Parts: sequence; structure tokens; C-alpha cells
Amino acid sequence: MSLFTVENLTYYYPDAAVPSLHSVDLAIEEGEFLLLAGGSGSGKSSLARALTGLIPDFYGGKIGGKVSYQNRDLRSWSRRDLAREVGMVFQDPEKQLVMTGVESEVAFGLENLGLPQAEMFRRVAEVMSFLGLTALKSEFTATLSGGQKQKLALGSVLAMQPYTLILDEPTSQLNPAVAEEFFNLIKRLNEEMNLTIILVEQRLDRCFHLADRVIIMADGTIVQAGPPGETAVWLIKNGLSFVPPVAALFAHAGSTEIPLTVKEGRRLLKRILSCEKCPKEGKEPPELAQQHRPSNDNLLARDPALKANGNAIMAPGPALAQIQEETEHKNQGLVKTNKIISPHHTVVISCTENQTKKPVIEVKNLFFSYLNGRETLRGINLLVNSGEFLAILGENAAGKTTLLKQLVGLLKPSRGRVTVMGRDTRRAAAHELARHIGYLPQNPNDCLFQDTVEEELHFTLTNLNLPDEGRVDRLLGRLGLSHHRHSNPRDLSSGERQRVALAAVLVAAPQLLLLDEPTRSIDYGTKADLGSLLQEITREGSAVVTVTHDVEFAAEYVGRVVMLFDGRIAFDGPKHAALGNSMFYSPQISRLFRGIDSSVLTLREALDRLLSKLSSCS
Amino acid sequence: MLQKFIYQEKGLFLQSLHPVASLTLIAAFFLLSLSFSHPYYLLGLLLVILLSLWAAGGLAAWEGYLKAVLWLILLIVLINALVNRSGSTILWNGPELPLFGRLPVTMEAISYGATMGVRLLNMVSAFCLFNLIVHPDRFFSLFSTVARKSVLVVTLATRLFPLLLATLERIREAQQLRGVDFSQGTLRERVMKNAAIFNTLLLSALEDSLQMAEAMQARAFGSGSRSRYRRDIFRPRDAICLAGIGLSLLVSVYSLARGMGTYTYFPELGSLQGSKISLIALAVVLLGLSVPALLNWGCKYWPYLKWKI
Repeated sequence: MSLFTVENLTYYYPDAAVPSLHSVDLAIEEGEFLLLAGGSGSGKSSLARALTGLIPDFYGGKIGGKVSYQNRDLRSWSRRDLAREVGMVFQDPEKQLVMTGVESEVAFGLENLGLPQAEMFRRVAEVMSFLGLTALKSEFTATLSGGQKQKLALGSVLAMQPYTLILDEPTSQLNPAVAEEFFNLIKRLNEEMNLTIILVEQRLDRCFHLADRVIIMADGTIVQAGPPGETAVWLIKNGLSFVPPVAALFAHAGSTEIPLTVKEGRRLLKRILSCEKCPKEGKEPPELAQQHRPSNDNLLARDPALKANGNAIMAPGPALAQIQEETEHKNQGLVKTNKIISPHHTVVISCTENQTKKPVIEVKNLFFSYLNGRETLRGINLLVNSGEFLAILGENAAGKTTLLKQLVGLLKPSRGRVTVMGRDTRRAAAHELARHIGYLPQNPNDCLFQDTVEEELHFTLTNLNLPDEGRVDRLLGRLGLSHHRHSNPRDLSSGERQRVALAAVLVAAPQLLLLDEPTRSIDYGTKADLGSLLQEITREGSAVVTVTHDVEFAAEYVGRVVMLFDGRIAFDGPKHAALGNSMFYSPQISRLFRGIDSSVLTLREALDRLLSKLSSCS
Repeated sequence: MLQKFIYQEKGLFLQSLHPVASLTLIAAFFLLSLSFSHPYYLLGLLLVILLSLWAAGGLAAWEGYLKAVLWLILLIVLINALVNRSGSTILWNGPELPLFGRLPVTMEAISYGATMGVRLLNMVSAFCLFNLIVHPDRFFSLFSTVARKSVLVVTLATRLFPLLLATLERIREAQQLRGVDFSQGTLRERVMKNAAIFNTLLLSALEDSLQMAEAMQARAFGSGSRSRYRRDIFRPRDAICLAGIGLSLLVSVYSLARGMGTYTYFPELGSLQGSKISLIALAVVLLGLSVPALLNWGCKYWPYLKWKI
């Protein structure tokens, strides 16, 4: 008997013409760890909400079909009883914490269940000890870090002692290290407490291997369901990008064995590199990898298109990938910078480049303290030229956002000098610099307030006294927003909203584009689109500087990396030197090749390396 | 920067009191500041509040309040001096103004204004103490049985207000970086620019509130009658503090009934020399209110006391 049974479920949000869920059938067993993946708007969040009863209870709308929990129709469950069985953690911790203090927050759900004092106290105590929140019990929720807030949100749901835990992109607002810690906690709950876990997630590289079953959704239906290894193969075969890079690499290389973690991947890689008989040639794979063995034996041989274009997995479509490849060939001089590993060579190359390129940002000996006396930036020196794509990486409170605010002129140096587009920021107001600089805030909602997408773009043009001259049409077309030009930006999906916000900035054709955490809460496909678009912009001569936690994104798309630590620059150089040699700030692919070849950083490079080895072995 | 003004867990004795005890203390400070008009009593109260603030390590925070309220006190003294004509000891005849006539400045009016200033300072300082020693959740939980819904609304508001301010700042920055200059343009244009910010804020806040409501529903809010989570323990320290405050309140009632806590300002200042009994009563009132601060000090240096109470 399944825990959840979904039969022929169809659901329309109020006033929606298209269903968000369409004839969904699904059975979930007790103790299962289920991963729900899919692009934005694919219906995965709606399905999760249907399982908690929030759809249609909270949202209204039209619903058909049936959802049963423990063989009883969900509608026959009282809200209180259901809340005791099924708990849900949401995306943004900020928007699910109700009380001011940590301890009261944990108790909030228990009060709602009407539990007696002694029982509440026992559960609060248990949960706080289990999650290590005891030291924070008298803190205000507002002063906690993002990771602590999400842990608290989890704790306040766990206190209600549910049997099923549904999580809707719980780590999208967290940095990678904290996200990993959170996933490990979830896995522990699944393994040690036998909690049924239903995880909706975009960040698949860190959780794909944790799941017992992965479900892929598209247009409101389930298009694939199966164990992670099998699903990875299916995804690659169908050109979908929801696969961890390690799995994508081996699938593209034609391996029959699909590893899902770096550990499994390295084992396989070492066998290939030592020219042992590869699993491709029929050698029996080890026990561990056996479970991920896909049904078809050689993907690349079956699909010549994939073989021709190994990059397809990370790019939105063959067309863009092709553009990317062509330009990479054209700009070989530029790309060379990325291939250099020795720091000595780096200096030489950047010097010769500097002669031909114009500096857009010059930061000299910048110090900055906030009014409370906290020195956030200390002795920063930074030179960014036109056409450069730079990522600023670093922990929380390392000074990333402060540096970004210095660059756009919102903050002024305490000491030292910041020159942007030849203007000293101390003598220019932020709105004056805006003519040359584009700034995309972390949350696109902060700049969307016009009634239509088109007006949003015109707003920028009017403020900066720029003529339209067909710019709006061209840009909307380029960003794939033409059909939304008369829509309200607030009605669009999060990925689309971000593109509208970006369009509103790009319409002024800035020579410098600054982005704050642009890849938070967007899916793999949208991320790939964004990366390619930003690369295109840099090829047109603008400079792009992005603050990010997303190492995978930085590895794949940027050219240069600056690492901030405690207000100082800990490293500044080409991405290969930065990420290839790093142990923690390294993408999955680079961890796979750690100690084997530090020049390998992107999927494409890894694939080249692997394929050349395979051909030399044979 | 604002950290020092809000509650922070410092493990102080004063913070460990049951909210009933700490709130009674604050209420007593408020009530007595309003009831007494005698400068000795008001200055004595100020002294005890400062002593409590010192015990709570809050003198730095209090300075901030003092700076803000000092201007108001000066204003009260000034207005009283110029407008109040009930006094008889004229210090300066003042200017001749049309409509108002001559504005004489009297000794009585200045004294009255100054005492009112001290009264205001007492109340502001008591509020500062409240912020430092009472955790807002414990304060609200005390009242949540009587006014459940209002308390939840207030809690949500206190939690979300800083969040809204931060969002507002971000929206303003995003607009500046799209070329909006908030200092330029006619009044109407500037109002329109600011209205756009609030419009964005409203849209975002509405979306966020829906998410918050959803999260609350998922945690069974509104699924039936609620219970109340209490975590405060009533210890001997609370009883001792309440006894001290109680004694002080009783003696205050006695002094007020006997006219010892009040003072005559008009038409002429009364004598400041109090009777022996009035001084004893004052000492008892102040001592009773100082019990929490003294215990805080005692517990700091004499752990045995802390263990026992």
C-alpha cells in the first residue's frame, strides 16, 4: 500500500487557462526519498502543494482527479490531522518564520495544534537539541544567517513530528556549503527516522545521488520517473539539462556506467585513465556503480548529434552552443587566458591584453567602513577591462555586496579611489553613473513595478533620456520576451522576471554590467541561457562583473575570478588558476580531476580530455 | 549600529526575571513618574532607573535615548518659561510681543518645566530599560491569552517591519541605478518618484504576505483552538523583586495620600525641605525599586546568592 496515491490529477490555478498539473498519476511509498525536478513552470511546486493539501485548500482553483494519503482521500483529512502527518518547508526562510524569537518559532506550530504545555516543551527541547539550535534559543530570527533560518524553518516543522516532509527548493537562498549541510540533514532524517522525503530542487549536483527516485516534470505532467542513474541517462538522451555535471560527463563520453557523485566518478575516471578495460568495453562494473547502470549501452554511438556537440548539455540548445563554439574559435586569443595555469604566465597575458583594452573599473587601495565602525573592505585593488567577464566569489560577509555597491556608486570609499568608466565615484551620484552601468539586483522584484514588460524598458530609457530607435523591440526579441511584451512582469515566472529585469537594464546598452547573485533560484536551463547571454554581451565589448556563490556557473561561463575573504582579495586571476587549484571553491568537474589535471574545469574540457584518452587507449 | 537599542541576550540576572516581575518593575517606574511631582522623588526615580540601566549594561544605549530626548526637554523648559504665567518670581520681564503681550519669565515656570523634563526623561529611560531586559516574545506571550489575535498581529509587525525597511532601501537603490534622481524635479515629480517606490514595495509585500500566510496554514494555523507555549519559571528572585516593588508602591500610595510626593510650584515654589518621615518614605520607595538592580549586582559578585535565588 502506497503512502501517497495521486490519480489522474489535473489542476488549474484560479483564472488560469492552462492547467498547472495535467493527468498526473503517482504513487509514493513510505520512507522513500523522492526528488522532483523540472524547469520553472513545469508543475513540480504545484504537485508538492497538492500533496500537502495547500492545493486547492489555500490556492482555490479547479481540481480534478484524486490525491490520497494512507488510502484516504486528502479532502477527508482535517487540516490539523494532516499537518501532524505532512510537513512542508518552503523556499525562502524569510517568508515562513512568523515569530520574533527562535524558541517561540519552534513552538508556533505546536501551539496551532493545541498541544499541552508539557508536550510542547518536550518537543521544542528535542528538536532544538537535534538540530543544534539550543545556543540560538534566545536569538531573534532576524539576526540569524540564511542557513540558520532555514534550519529553524525545518526545526519548526519537525517539532510537529510529521511522517512526510515536503521541501520546496529549500536551499535556493543558501550558499553551496550551507546547502550541502542542509541536504545531509535531510538524508539523515530519511535514513535514521524513516521520514518520507519529497524534495523539489533545482540544485541537482548536490542532491541527485541522495534520492531513491527522481521524477522529471514538464508542462504539468510527469515525463520520466526512475532511479537517479537511469533518469540521468534519460535526461541526457532527451537533451535536458537537469543532470549533475559528473553524470553528464560520463554519459557524453559513452560510458555505460553513470556515476552520480565525485567519489564514484573518480573511481571510474582512474580506471579509464590507466587504460584499464573501460566498462564501455564490457568489463563488469563494480557493485556500487551497478545500480546506476542504464538500460542502453552506448549513448554517443546511438546519438550522433550528441557526439558532434558535446556541449549541448550545458547550453540551452544546439544553436546557442554552436554560436558559443564558433566564437570561442574566433576569439582564441581571449580564450587562451582561461587555459593558462601558471600564475606567471597569467600576468604576461593580462598585460598584453591591457594594452588593447580600455579599463572600465579601476579600484585603488580601497578601504571602507560602515558607520558602526566595521571595516568591510581593506586594501582592495582591482582593474577590470572592457570585454571581461569576472566573478566575485566569497563567503557571506566577505564584503562582496559592499564591493559591488562601491562599484555602482551607492557607497563611497572611506579611503582609496574607485574609478568607474573614467569617473571617480566620490564625485558622481549613483544615478549619474547609471548612464554607463547596468545593475541587476538579487531579487528582480525590487525593480519591477510597471504594468507591462514594455513599459519597464521604456522607464529606463526615459530616465536616461535615451531614444528608443527600435532598441526595445530588438532586446525583447533577443531575450525571448516578445510574446510577453504586454504582460504584467509580476505575472511571469521567476526566470522570466529576471530576464525582464535584465532587459530593463540592458536597454540602456551599458558598457559595464554588474549582477548580484543572478543564479539564485533559477533552474539549470535558465542559468545556461543567462550564462550564454552574458558571454555574448562581453564579446560585444561590455564588461560583466557578477557576485555569486555559484561555483559551477563561474567555472562554466566567466573568464576571471576574484575571491574575497574578510574584506580583502585572496585571489585574482583566470578561472582555471582560481577554481582548478581550489579544494572547496571548485566545481564538480574540477573535483573529479583534482590531482589528475587541474586545467580541466568545464564539462567541455573534461569531455575532450576523456575522449582523447579513450581514443588513445583503443 | 542599532544593535545596542534592542534586546540582546547577555545572560543578565535582570533578563532572567519572570516577565511578570520585570514588567511590574517597568510599570512601577512609569506609574510613579506620572504620580509624583516632587523633584526629590522624580530625581530619586531617575537615579534608580539609571542604577537598573547600569546593572543591565545599558548606559551606552541610554545615552542614545538621552541625546534624542534632551532637545525635547529643553523645548519643554523653554515653552514653559515663556508661556506659563502662573509664577510670581519674575526673573526677566521678556519681550513685548504683538497679540501675546509681554512674556515674563518666572522662576516657578522654569522649575516646573525642568521637573516635567525629568519626568519625561524617567519615562524614556524606563522604556530603554524595558527594551534591554524584556524579550519581546516573552512580553507578548504574557498577553497572548487575553488578546490572542492582536498579539499575533503585533508580533508579525515587529518581525516584518525591519524586513520592509530593508526592501524599501533595495528598491530605492535599484531605481537610482536605473537613472532616477530623487532630489531633482518639481515637488509633484518627486512625489511621483517616491510613490513608485512605495508601489513596488506594496506589490512585493502583498506577494510576500501570501507566502507567509501559506507557510502559516501549512503549520496548522487556524485549524482549531490554540494552546500557549510558556517557558518562564517563577523563582525566589521574582518573589523578592515583586516584594520590593510592592513595598515601594505601598509606601508611594501612603506618601501621596499624605501629600509628601507632591510639590507646589505656583504661584510660589514650596519649601524643598521635607519632613523626616517624608525622607524615610522616599528612601523606602527608592530602595524597594532598587531591589532588582541590587540583586543583579549581588549575583554578579556572589555566585552563592545566584544559586540560591
